[in-house]
Amino acid sequence: MVNAYVPKTLEDCLKLLNEFDLKIVAGGTDVLIQNRAPSQLAIGYKKDVCYILQIEELKKIYEDDQYIYIGSAVSLEEIMDSMIVPEILRNTILEMASPAIRHTATLAGNIANASPAGDSLVTLYLLDAEIEIRSMNNLRRMKVSDFITGVRKIELAKDELISKIIIPKFEFDQAYFKKVGPRLSDAISKVAFAGAYIVEGKKIKDFRVSFGAVNVTVVRADELEQKIISRTVKDIKKMKETIVSWYEKAINPIDDQRSNKAYRKVVALNLLREFIENLNL
Amino acid sequence: MKDISQSINKVDNDEKISGKAKYVADIKMEGMLHALTLRATIAKGEIVEIIYPKLPEGYFVVDYKDIPGKNIVKVIFDDMPIFTTGKITYLHEPIALLIGPDKFLVNELLKQVKVTYKEEKPLFDWVDSVIHYEFKKGEGFKPKKGDIIIEKSYETSYQEQLYIETQGMIGYMEDNEKITLVGSIQCPYYVKNALVQALDVEDKLVRVIQATVGGAFGGKEEFPSLIACQLAVAVKKIKKPIRLIYEREEDILSTTKRHPSKTTLKALMRNDKIISLAVKVGLDGGANIGLSGVVLSRALIASSGAYTIDNLDVQGDVFRTNTVPNGAFRGFGAPQMMFAIEMFVDHVAKKIGKDPFKFRVEHLAKQGDYTSTMGLYRDPILLEDMINKAMEVSDYKTKRKLFDQKDSYKGIGMSIFFHGCGFTGSGEKNHIKAKVKLKKQGDSVEILIAAVDMGQGVKTSFRKLVAHILDIEIERVIFNNPDTDYVSDSGPTVASRTMMIVGGIVARCAKEMKERFSEENFIVEKVYEQPSYIEFDEATFTGDAYPAYSWGVNVVEVEVDPVTYQVKLHKTWSVYDVGKAIDERMVYGQADGGLAQGLAYGYLEVMNHKDGKIMQKNMTDYIIPTAMDMPPMETYLFDNPYAYGPYGAKGVGELSLVGGAPAVAKAIEQAIKRQVYKIPVTPEYIMELVNNGKD
Repeated sequence: MVNAYVPKTLEDCLKLLNEFDLKIVAGGTDVLIQNRAPSQLAIGYKKDVCYILQIEELKKIYEDDQYIYIGSAVSLEEIMDSMIVPEILRNTILEMASPAIRHTATLAGNIANASPAGDSLVTLYLLDAEIEIRSMNNLRRMKVSDFITGVRKIELAKDELISKIIIPKFEFDQAYFKKVGPRLSDAISKVAFAGAYIVEGKKIKDFRVSFGAVNVTVVRADELEQKIISRTVKDIKKMKETIVSWYEKAINPIDDQRSNKAYRKVVALNLLREFIENLNL
Repeated sequence: MKDISQSINKVDNDEKISGKAKYVADIKMEGMLHALTLRATIAKGEIVEIIYPKLPEGYFVVDYKDIPGKNIVKVIFDDMPIFTTGKITYLHEPIALLIGPDKFLVNELLKQVKVTYKEEKPLFDWVDSVIHYEFKKGEGFKPKKGDIIIEKSYETSYQEQLYIETQGMIGYMEDNEKITLVGSIQCPYYVKNALVQALDVEDKLVRVIQATVGGAFGGKEEFPSLIACQLAVAVKKIKKPIRLIYEREEDILSTTKRHPSKTTLKALMRNDKIISLAVKVGLDGGANIGLSGVVLSRALIASSGAYTIDNLDVQGDVFRTNTVPNGAFRGFGAPQMMFAIEMFVDHVAKKIGKDPFKFRVEHLAKQGDYTSTMGLYRDPILLEDMINKAMEVSDYKTKRKLFDQKDSYKGIGMSIFFHGCGFTGSGEKNHIKAKVKLKKQGDSVEILIAAVDMGQGVKTSFRKLVAHILDIEIERVIFNNPDTDYVSDSGPTVASRTMMIVGGIVARCAKEMKERFSEENFIVEKVYEQPSYIEFDEATFTGDAYPAYSWGVNVVEVEVDPVTYQVKLHKTWSVYDVGKAIDERMVYGQADGGLAQGLAYGYLEVMNHKDGKIMQKNMTDYIIPTAMDMPPMETYLFDNPYAYGPYGAKGVGELSLVGGAPAVAKAIEQAIKRQVYKIPVTPEYIMELVNNGKD
């Protein structure tokens, strides 16, 4: 038997986390599966839990000049329906899971789950998204890409809670997410890709790509992007295969029950090629 | 009177939509215990020792030592033990049941059981042939010097039924001696006969009742007999109601699936025609033979597909391996064979530089031709008209030409196929011997048969059939879920036989009842009568393998993404000859569902094992299509009444699955300009073909 806490305020929640060792549950769409028990039996939680979906402070989406803020208890469906959320993130969410799961799952949950195949992560890395983390005595902020350190490994102390996802505002010339799943809905990605760029004059001012399900965490290579930025679009297109070879080294997928290494690698690089070919002045 | 084909609402719509229908999991009985299965954790070896935890009062272990009768599940080939006596032949083989009132505690106890094994090296290669069949037609395969011979091999992999309701059953004791089982089953009398043998009791001391069934697809043909026997043994010992329901993963890991196959075809060519065909089929039977021999014979009989080839040399083997036993699945050997032969005829045509479509039409089976087993196609075959219809509605010719262009990643494919209706050979006459009762009581008429409505609509179609013949309102016709204490053994609900065979007998009963309708209470009872001209020798595979054939044409249009190699289905067009539809909308339902399952078998559903362990063990990893993946489907029905089917009806249930895989595979071939030799044609396989394959 485990105890379940259902705090109504952030303050209560942080107090509980400070006092007990709790598993935080938001939408539960990953946690419940990871702790599933035979039918008709209680969920097989291994420790006490804290349900956060009733905390009003965590259920808001708002913006200021620089950022969009998404509370950690906001459902994917609500994010998808919000007009202030960047289109690429909304489109990413549309490709995730099924309507029923999106109705209850959260973006913070997808981050904390830190799966190599987490779709939203691909886009969050691309957008340089950050998270706000709170504990009773502390408030900190860090990039999602620093928060996730490995397969299901995150930088979160036991008394801490993700309270917000913070997305910097950018105006890209183009930005898109492409999911390669085994079927068109309700599936875990074999490969996922996100890309965005800004062209000024004939030169690339911003160029970013990220890949999911091809390494332990999302692949985004700042140093490679820096080597591409400020070249002309024409040059970049000419050196397409060179760029592909740079990325090839960072893409290290595995064989599993859903796909294989060779396919994941080839398709990830094909998606990069397609992105470069479609750069527009 | 209305045409019987005119659709009515299914009679169980309301109870299913409202949630009132009682599935096994909805049934709760006073004092009911829960059973969970202890399973082997190795693929091959011997159990050295089992140490059970100390069981609290009211908790039990039930294993082979508790079986009063034979420790064998009665199927077709009797080689599956109810519980192992110590020998392990596949991973997750059942060892015992743990039973008690608190399911949580049963589960905890199960985790504490310690089994030690002496492991042996498991066999996964297909080398241990346990069934071998062969037959010849004409002169067999006898090439002369200088003859052109074309040889190709084809592979198919597992397919999982993935019925939405997992395997489940409840057993209880009546009057301190009679054992009753309520289950999610296709074949009440298969279960009953298995129980009689396992318990070694008189027939009347066993009763089997069908609960509402949430899908089956063949997966509830023979497999439920295993858990029924286990549960019956437990009920006999404990004398309390016990429920056993599989978890999804347990179900996928341990229950029967479609047999993986490898088929080699050799064509001997003369004057641009296939003069002779050599066929060699291998099926992976898994650890038990069970129904595999029957699956193999259905595959072999279908070896020349919808074509007539005068000379055949047909051979096939079932191989035993240390993997989960394979068994019945909608199509039953035909999907494997139809894939191979349909791809092969195209590949042969391309090889000799002929237009594949023309080549196939030149070989089409016609009325009066001899079948692969020297039976006769007695009834009209409408294939040419059906093909023309499919071509016209799909604009096949234009698209075929257009998509041939170099940079087109689109493709259109056509499969032409049949399905033999009813049991293979003399199965109906010699083994099944279906009996049917129709009972008139006052104003109402009750259908007493063992046919199971597993979603396909038997309850509706049979009530409609009887009401139509008697010319009374459908509300006056009763059809309850089969209960072996009341219904006759009309045979299993399998093999596309229910309407054609059982419906045929029911129709004969109804016609007799109509003549005596003024009488108050009476029963009409009839048995199956095989058309006198049908003779089949099972030993030599000679004669009419089926009393009738249903025919089909599927056209599928696809597009392949050149970046990700993913396949998008654009549209399908299908034409079927099922004799006569007893309810059009229900046939369309079977057509759409079967085709979705067949298409997915061809391009989507990946299942394989690693060291005997099924790798895709849940619905996250075993990918079946969603509504998003399936395209619009257009279906046309051609009437072609069969004299012995009610109103001319032939088989429906399996036909629509059989042609999906070759049709989608051919469409993909055109889109990628490569030849396909195995299914599913996954993006991974397409990538390989595109990068390495030859046109």
